[in-house]
Amino acid sequence: MPVHVPGPELYNSIPFRHLGGKGKQGKKGVFAALNLTAFVDMMTMLVVFLLMTFSASGEILMSQKGLDLPQAINKDQLKRAPIITITMDTINFNGEQMADPRNIASDTSLEWKIIELYERLKVEHAQFELAPIDEKQKESLRGLLILQADKNVDAKVLNRVMKTAYAAEYPNIMFAIAQRAGGH
Amino acid sequence: MGVSADDGASGRAGKAVDVEVNVVPFIDLMSCLVAFLLVTAVWSNLAQIRTTPRGPGPGGDQAPPALALSVLVTVDAHWVGLATGDRRRIPKVGGEYDWAGLENALGELRRTRGDRHDVEIAADDGVAYQAVISTMDTAIAEGLPDIGYLDPPLLSVRFGRP
Repeated sequence: MPVHVPGPELYNSIPFRHLGGKGKQGKKGVFAALNLTAFVDMMTMLVVFLLMTFSASGEILMSQKGLDLPQAINKDQLKRAPIITITMDTINFNGEQMADPRNIASDTSLEWKIIELYERLKVEHAQFELAPIDEKQKESLRGLLILQADKNVDAKVLNRVMKTAYAAEYPNIMFAIAQRAGGH
Repeated sequence: MGVSADDGASGRAGKAVDVEVNVVPFIDLMSCLVAFLLVTAVWSNLAQIRTTPRGPGPGGDQAPPALALSVLVTVDAHWVGLATGDRRRIPKVGGEYDWAGLENALGELRRTRGDRHDVEIAADDGVAYQAVISTMDTAIAEGLPDIGYLDPPLLSVRFGRP
């Protein structure tokens, strides 16, 4: 077999500069430093914003359809307690439906108690008394109830719920509100 | 990202003193913090107005009736009064409750009672819940944070309504 002059050879005759091989330009570094300044700035601002809006007590109330809370300026921190929710369509206790506010609004009888709610509150109260909680803490939570109601709810429904709560030994009611800056 | 400092005192002029700061742990920490804060974020800004028991019933505070300050919200006005006899009607103005008038009335009556900061509030049938809360808000702003919410017939003051 005759001997031939060798032909073109990869990386010698053809340098493949863009691959960074052994060609004439192949030793140039391909490491590109990524500028992280803008990223770190953004992270810092995000952390500061989230820390400012952080609430140690967590989310006590869940927003739900048909519940537009009334607004007020003067307020206290909300505490964890059983929740009565009144919307235009339903009265709930801890998520369980208790009554229909339309029936209460149209009721002309002398009945002042919402029976289902009263029974449920009595059960809740009995369970609370049996719960293994420190007596000091129990004293501060005894009779405490959160009332979150839609801002258009009729005071007749509100009064009936309040009387039921008082009768079931829940006299300390916290009215849930949405905070606002100022004015009526 | 690097830090540059002039190292003239060392006498080795010309030697590069750039130092690369390793920002990887910082970014790790920031990422963890952002994730945690986003998960635990509370976006709805809720609070409460607290009421204390009044009148008959469990834990009811039997205030001396002579000094009791009562506010009744009706569909067309606020009624404010002391059990001693000073009673005022603050009607709606242009279909809206007169909050400035209520503030003035509460402020005046509060000053006649010395150090007492309690008030009884009740609302008639047909009044919107927002009006009740705004009335409580006004009372707190006027230095009456000890609010008792009652049924209208249980108020210490009997308002001579038509």
